[in-house]
Amino acid sequence: MAKAARNNPEPIDGAAPACALQDLIDAVARGDRGALRRLYERESRRLYGIALRIVRRPEIAAEVLQDAFLQIWQKAASYAPERGDPAAWLTGIVRYRGIDAVRKLGRELPSADPEQGEAVAPDTFGESDASLARGALRRCLDELDDNQRRCILLAFVDGLTHAEIAARLSAPLGSVKSWVRRGLVSLRRCLDG
Amino acid sequence: MIPENSEELDILAGEYVLGVLDPAVARVVEAALAVNPELRRAVILWEERLQPLSALAPPVGPPPAIWNNIAARIGETGGARPRLWHSLALWRLSAAFAAACAACLALYIFLARPAPGPSLVAILHAPRQERPAWVATAGRNGLSVQALAGAAAPRGRSFELWAIAPGAKKAVSLGVIPANGRLQIAAFPQALRQGGKLAISVEPEGGSPTGRATGPIVFVGSLVATK
Repeated sequence: MAKAARNNPEPIDGAAPACALQDLIDAVARGDRGALRRLYERESRRLYGIALRIVRRPEIAAEVLQDAFLQIWQKAASYAPERGDPAAWLTGIVRYRGIDAVRKLGRELPSADPEQGEAVAPDTFGESDASLARGALRRCLDELDDNQRRCILLAFVDGLTHAEIAARLSAPLGSVKSWVRRGLVSLRRCLDG
Repeated sequence: MIPENSEELDILAGEYVLGVLDPAVARVVEAALAVNPELRRAVILWEERLQPLSALAPPVGPPPAIWNNIAARIGETGGARPRLWHSLALWRLSAAFAAACAACLALYIFLARPAPGPSLVAILHAPRQERPAWVATAGRNGLSVQALAGAAAPRGRSFELWAIAPGAKKAVSLGVIPANGRLQIAAFPQALRQGGKLAISVEPEGGSPTGRATGPIVFVGSLVATK
């Protein structure tokens, strides 16, 4: 596990065995600073990318990533395998912190600044990401109507609130709330069904 | 507040994971996660379902200073080991304490009513809390459940008592607990002769309309043999 982490300083995509990530988190829980370092080497590019996409400002994304790893260091002991997928746990820590940070700072609505990347390309998935392209979630997202899918993606990937999504889509707030709800219900039915 | 209806609770969990909730509502959900296992499960499931979407944010190399800051901070704070030890020890201590409580109460009830004493006793408490909230005794005289202190169902709702036999997947209703917090059942359910668990859920007034628990389980306890 340690060897794999050293040989692969780049984050490993979906193909990486989840157990290795679990082992790293277990070692972090035992107070192993080296394990936190290996976890950082393995996951920081992925997690920084997620933070940056949500907060849009590198200096804030850096704070979010730093705080997230301190939180991982403190909370790894309370993480248990039944807590679910370890990658999803790490994603959650970064996303919730990123979302908190932008809510606190107040955010200008992300513009279509090409430097920042358009906040949403709601109908296009990164085709390079084979795990999503092949996955059940992709198939189930395709079954949603366009508005529902846009809402789910703008919220999860870009961290927008109901109100921000409404402004972005030029749609009434009530409609956005209902698209999110119906989108969630349909996704769950499709994924769990 | 956190909805009792599982469908509404699940949608709220999904909205929380998406991050669309107002910060004030998100704080309420976060606080409830610590005490509401159903909500916690729902949030974990949504995090897992939506995890593949996180790949849509392209990976970016973070500034090198970040790791140095993290390393400096974890060096200073002395590491996670004491916290782990602390939490595990606390957990064990509280489990031991709860077991000791159960044993003492069982002994007390057994000694206080020698003949025909109850053969099983359960102390029900809120999940993850150790303060006893209800006591149940079961034996030849049937089953009786009594609130220990101020456990009242929310307005317009009823507490319903459920039996979960050892190894059983489904809970069987033992009846709605009257507003005075006492329920006496003449016939002790066969399935519980070897122990099992008792649970109390919050249901619409008059009890679950479906025969299965529809609201959250708010108290739970294991039946322990007294002799």
